[in-house]
Amino acid sequence: MSADQALKQASATPVAAEPDRWRVGSALVARRRFMDRLATVLSLCATSVALVALVSILLTLLVRGAAGLSLVTFTHSTASPGLNGGLANAIVGSLIQTVIAIAIGAPLGMLCGIFLANYGRGWVASTTRFVSDMLLSAPSILIGLFIYQIVVAPTGRFSGLAGGLALAILALPIVVRTTEDMLALVPTAMVEAGIALGARKWRVIVFICLRAARTGVITGILLAVARVTGETAPLLFTSLGNQEWSVNPAHPMASLPVTIYQYAGSAYEDWVQLAWTGALLVTLGVLAINIIVRVGFDRKGA
Amino acid sequence: MTEATHTVKSYEQELERLRGLMARMGGLVERQTARAVSAIVDRDEEAAAEAPELDPEVDSLEREAEALAIRILALRSPMAVDLREIVAALKITGDLERIGDYASSIARRAMKLEMENNLSLIGLRNMGRLVQENLRRGIDALTQRDRDRAIEVWQSDTAVDELYTAMFRELVTYMMEDPRNIGACIHLLFVAKNLERIGDHTTNIAERVYYAATGEMLPSVRPRGGLGPTTVA
Amino acid sequence: MSVLAGDLREAMTSSAMIAVKNLDFYYGQHKALHGITMDFPKRKVTGMIGPSGCGKSTLLRVLNRMYDLYPGQRATGEVMFDGRNIVAPGMDMNRLRARVGMVFQKPTPFPMSIYDNIAFGVKLHEKLSRAEMDARVEDVLHRVALWSEVKDRLKSSATALSGGQQQRLCIARTIATRPEVVLLDEPTSALDPVSTARIEELLDELKKEFTIAIVTHNMQQAARCADQVAFFYLGELVEIDSTDRMFTAPREKRTQDYITGRFG
Repeated sequence: MSADQALKQASATPVAAEPDRWRVGSALVARRRFMDRLATVLSLCATSVALVALVSILLTLLVRGAAGLSLVTFTHSTASPGLNGGLANAIVGSLIQTVIAIAIGAPLGMLCGIFLANYGRGWVASTTRFVSDMLLSAPSILIGLFIYQIVVAPTGRFSGLAGGLALAILALPIVVRTTEDMLALVPTAMVEAGIALGARKWRVIVFICLRAARTGVITGILLAVARVTGETAPLLFTSLGNQEWSVNPAHPMASLPVTIYQYAGSAYEDWVQLAWTGALLVTLGVLAINIIVRVGFDRKGA
Repeated sequence: MTEATHTVKSYEQELERLRGLMARMGGLVERQTARAVSAIVDRDEEAAAEAPELDPEVDSLEREAEALAIRILALRSPMAVDLREIVAALKITGDLERIGDYASSIARRAMKLEMENNLSLIGLRNMGRLVQENLRRGIDALTQRDRDRAIEVWQSDTAVDELYTAMFRELVTYMMEDPRNIGACIHLLFVAKNLERIGDHTTNIAERVYYAATGEMLPSVRPRGGLGPTTVA
Repeated sequence: MSVLAGDLREAMTSSAMIAVKNLDFYYGQHKALHGITMDFPKRKVTGMIGPSGCGKSTLLRVLNRMYDLYPGQRATGEVMFDGRNIVAPGMDMNRLRARVGMVFQKPTPFPMSIYDNIAFGVKLHEKLSRAEMDARVEDVLHRVALWSEVKDRLKSSATALSGGQQQRLCIARTIATRPEVVLLDEPTSALDPVSTARIEELLDELKKEFTIAIVTHNMQQAARCADQVAFFYLGELVEIDSTDRMFTAPREKRTQDYITGRFG
């Protein structure tokens, strides 16, 4: 009834000329279009600056590094100038110290992340989180000095183990952060579902939550690996470097970053060449890990 | 009983429309009955013609109300008081439509009735008045969703039944007195029967109104004698 | 009429599986349940309805003490289940949860195989041989009508199942621990109508064996599935009655207003 009346009333009032609602003020449109183009061009410029820098670094590394790459690089240890040395001791040293770092840092970091994600309430948790975040951005040379003070100075010698420990401290906050974040993504309902079946909390966390978050946690560990393999500063005061072949973690140990650091500035051409090759190897290693992380895990999601 | 309004306004409007249709139907049927009674007892030919003429409108209202009720059932999934009201509406429209049919039938009979004789119509007049009054109150109970009035209507049908029994005896007596009365008396007997049926449908309406308002069914057998609303509820 | 009378008589005589008496519940300082008293009759479906935040889910989470996960939440009063007050201190919570299972709003398959999803809960409470476990898995999958759909891929990931299948798997997982009570917290609100109908059909089967409490926002669902329905509002139990009575002629005005859509 009322609808009918309304309709009648509407048709009774004179109809004003309907404005074409497809057309909007053309000056406004032109201005918007211009701003849109400008913003697009600016961001393209910024992107290309970054890309050019990156590509030039990679290309230089590839050209200069590949020149010195041969079987000798992997089979011979570093040697005095002119003696046709390789990088075998540095490569193996880096590997050993990284393994030590991850073997200590990953479990500790995961446990800490589990604590923060599932039990983390109150001041202990917020302090832990704060300290961990600070560690994430701490200058790595400070970490080296710290280990020097508590390990190297008391034992009286530089060692691969000390280097591994320093790297472990660097890896720790990365693993803590990713573990906590990934566990936080596990739906509460999943935890409750486990509890509702009569499981204890630790069992739910270990068998359900960690499983659900595993790709994310592994990604975090790989990122930590990538981070520590490139570190030089913390190793200067801990594993020092070693010209000889040594796999004993109780002794000073060579590593790629330290070798690069020492050789790059030297006056000997073959040492400089080895530094380039070492840099190429480290870069390729880190790049490989990043690619594995992206291709292997990102697609499946955490 | 006052209700809060529905959150969904169109639902509320549909229910209002259904109530409006019922009220219009009730009004028409009431008028049909009044005209039919007056056609018989006052020998009003105009009234006799009018009552059947209202039939098509009553029928179309019934169909409209039924379609609307089904639509609400299908689209709104009514619950509780709404569900009861809609189910009651479906049945009440049926009762109203029947009442209209009986009224038309009475009116048509009035046109055929030749009454040069001097039969007393007092009993029929009383019965007609009572049935009309009950119907009016029944429809009031319907439009106001008034449970107490519904119980009154439900109870007062006893009086209609008693009047019908008395009429029956009276007409049988007339027929036995003078066989020439038989034709007219049979017509009158049918009229009385139709009025009695109108009373029954009015009772049905009262029962449905009571159910819609309270969710309780009135007992299937109406107790003889006084029955206060308190003992029912 | 006689059928109805029979139903009523049965409802009256069937004993309470869980009896709640004067239950109060607090989220910290906030009192979320006020003196709830009601029974969950054995092998019946009890529907719990009410607007969001009315306390219906809270009550459900008291029945398996899920609230213990969160500090600051506590219940006082009495919830009798098999001769013990389950909200009193000293309950073996894990044992309780094995006997009072729960299914959640969103399907929560664990990130493991279909088989392991079911075995996970069973292993917590029983030592079964390989063959016994296989039989248990097959049995519960049959009961939730999932067996024919998954029998060839028991070892593949449960997360690849459709939403409706996942929810049925979750129900299978819950009944695999052989509980006496199954709590369902809006089990179909994330599912399409066909999956919903299957779950409802399943409830009809399950109530032959389990006592069921279901929280739902869907009034029609409560009407279809439940034997008795409880209406909650602002932390109070406003009315509890047979489903039939609740949806045709509720006693309380607040119930009526809610179920007919006259709220707010």
